[in-house]
Amino acid sequence: MRPENYQPVNHPASHAFELYFGPNHPGIEGNYALHAVVSGDTVERLTADGGYLHRGFEKLMEERLWIQNIALVPRICVPDPVPMEETYARAVETLGGLEVPVRAEWLRMMVLEMSRLTAHLFTFGGHAATVGLYTNMFWGVTDRDMILDLFEELTGARVYHMYITPGGVRRDLPPGFLDRLSARLDYIEQRLPGFDDLFFDNAVFVGRAQGTGVMSQEQALAWGVTGPNLRACGLQFDLRRDDPYLRYEEVEFDIPTESAGDCYARALVRRAEVVESIRILRQIIPRLRHLDGPIRCPLPNPLAWTIPAGDTYVRTESSKGELAYYVVSDGTEKPWRVHVRGPSSMHAVQVLEHLGVGARIEDIAQIMFSLDACPPEVDR
Amino acid sequence: MSSMTSYPIYRDPDTAIGCRTVDEQERSLLRRVLDRIADHCRARSLFVLHYCTGCGAIELPPSMTSRFDLERVGMQPMVTPRQADILLITGYLSVKTLKRVILTYEQMQGPKYVMGFGSCTINGGMYWNSYATVKRLQEYIPVDMYIAGCMPRPEAIQQGFLQLIERIDSGRATAWQDYYRRYDWYLGNQQAMFGEQFQTPTDVIAEARHYALASAETTGRHTALLEQQLQQAALMPVGPGRAAGESQ
Amino acid sequence: MSEAQLPAPLHAVFDEITGVIFKRQGARRLRVDIDADRLPTLLALLKGRAGYLHLSAISCVDWPQDSEFELVYHLGSYETQVMVAAHIRIPRAASRYLSVYDIHIPAGFFERDIHEMYGIEFEGSPNMTPFILTEWQGPPPMRKDFDTLGYVNQHYSWQQYDPQWLRELEARGGGLVE
Repeated sequence: MRPENYQPVNHPASHAFELYFGPNHPGIEGNYALHAVVSGDTVERLTADGGYLHRGFEKLMEERLWIQNIALVPRICVPDPVPMEETYARAVETLGGLEVPVRAEWLRMMVLEMSRLTAHLFTFGGHAATVGLYTNMFWGVTDRDMILDLFEELTGARVYHMYITPGGVRRDLPPGFLDRLSARLDYIEQRLPGFDDLFFDNAVFVGRAQGTGVMSQEQALAWGVTGPNLRACGLQFDLRRDDPYLRYEEVEFDIPTESAGDCYARALVRRAEVVESIRILRQIIPRLRHLDGPIRCPLPNPLAWTIPAGDTYVRTESSKGELAYYVVSDGTEKPWRVHVRGPSSMHAVQVLEHLGVGARIEDIAQIMFSLDACPPEVDR
Repeated sequence: MSSMTSYPIYRDPDTAIGCRTVDEQERSLLRRVLDRIADHCRARSLFVLHYCTGCGAIELPPSMTSRFDLERVGMQPMVTPRQADILLITGYLSVKTLKRVILTYEQMQGPKYVMGFGSCTINGGMYWNSYATVKRLQEYIPVDMYIAGCMPRPEAIQQGFLQLIERIDSGRATAWQDYYRRYDWYLGNQQAMFGEQFQTPTDVIAEARHYALASAETTGRHTALLEQQLQQAALMPVGPGRAAGESQ
Repeated sequence: MSEAQLPAPLHAVFDEITGVIFKRQGARRLRVDIDADRLPTLLALLKGRAGYLHLSAISCVDWPQDSEFELVYHLGSYETQVMVAAHIRIPRAASRYLSVYDIHIPAGFFERDIHEMYGIEFEGSPNMTPFILTEWQGPPPMRKDFDTLGYVNQHYSWQQYDPQWLRELEARGGGLVE
């Protein structure tokens, strides 16, 4: 270290010092930084610092054809890419007046719920790791891999599937897929009591998570919190029921809520959502067995495909919250504007800054993971 | 051409084994055997820096956990760069992250290895026309190996790591030495990206001399700029009211 | 469009405010075009009278051919299924507008984002410092006059890829399509 780089610090006499939860930190979900001013063990002020994952997606999407953007779109949210594909596809279909065949809608619902399962299993592991329970990460990631195997069989890729395209889906199911999916769902259901013993009923975790990062419903509504984080504050609102898309009106599912609004409540809501996703998938499987039809509506030549001028705002319930796309077309073959509103735009920035005040240093990571803050969505 | 081409190359006979320029004719048989043993052991106990720089990081937990278990080849994640051997650039590098990656890379102690993960490190990948991502990683830090894919699956990651282990074992993974030998070129690219005021807290030239890797290309016109800034900084008064450091 | 097609809670709002243009964009989407100086009133009325508590996003669209920026405020309600998108236009040269942070807290993030990406100043917004582009020295990148490929060609270099098989192909008269 060069001696010139030693700077005398000129702070007024206080107990506060600055702590950088820099980008290289396992307690931060992804590549993101938090600048904390702490006094003793308690955080006085938390400032979020993003942009480490910025790729300029919205600019890139304006430079590519409508069909080329389906390769860019899943990469915006790394752990849960399928809702991104679905929202973009639905926006293009709304603008272009395309009608998605029924079988394709059910296939889309299937991959959406499978992706929700993988994202929630990943958060079990992530949240547990922030309180020091690393076994749960091994379990969660490995169980998630069982579903990624199914994705690989269906779409060819484990993480970025590019399966949902405007007009339908890219491929139909391989033979025997639904049986394998059903068997995997049985497997995950039978694993849940194990997760309960290890994690959700674990006295140490309950002690750490209850009362940490508490949000009241009024605060959550004022701060723009959506998704499982809002449901953990007691409001039963789910875009699958309240702004329905695809065929969610034809399946039965509950919307689990908790009322405490703390980290424990958010973890419980996600665990309950895993059960609901499995329930939805079990209703989708028999439909897909008996439903025939095309998987894609006829599309024009994708290299010369123009969408009529207009704009649309499309919302999806991703595993993290309300994901929305605002797409504007000017009648040419490239989008004029695509604005991606990720749920973590609220959760990772303003909500985290508010909840961090008064938290202890060791709880910052827990709060961030319990909010399921996903930095790639914030930075795009 | 730089006027600093001739300076004494400091060879400390007690410098650690295996991290000096290997001139096979000069080294004694004992030294070569010890080098070989050190490389063999080093290859089997690598710490990977836990820094998720981009999207490829989502395939790291599957590779490291029970299913594809990287720990059986001796690899573990390590949180601090001071004790890590491998820096994985998982996926694309945005410009903001690149600055931190260079700082992190310089904090790691030699020998160290950089793996470029995914096609974005090779030629910009999916974001080739983005103003915010770096196109060629090897211009800023030396890269040992690239793993192709978008993103590479755990089996590909494992194969990449096994190849890296084999390269380390056979003594061919010496890209880290290139940073010391051609620091002026790397610094030039870094300054082109971040401005001529860019400097890091690490004194790379002194380290190059310590490792006996300094060459004619370690210093040049870009490091001359660094020297100028240091001299100016040394002349400035130290005390309250001074602007917070120039290094960032 | 007739008032009868508006959902009930919105009647109370649009009776108060005049000079708006409605367009129904689907079963659950309502587009409202309004003057820039009347937008805060509309947002406050929608929040207070009609229960539109949720500001989903603020989007900015650059229309250089009209020399205007279009700001779109997407509002949702927890009681009605209809979403309202309020569109305003501000002149491109002036590029300033009011902040609606005092009505909707989520606006703070979006206004900060639009400021660094488009260069629009929002008066009254709590934080206008860059969030993502903290070390960016160029012009606001999302504007239509910023050429990202030109910037890339100027500031970055590409891998040289000159394999033997390609050289042989070029020697025979073939090669890559430009």
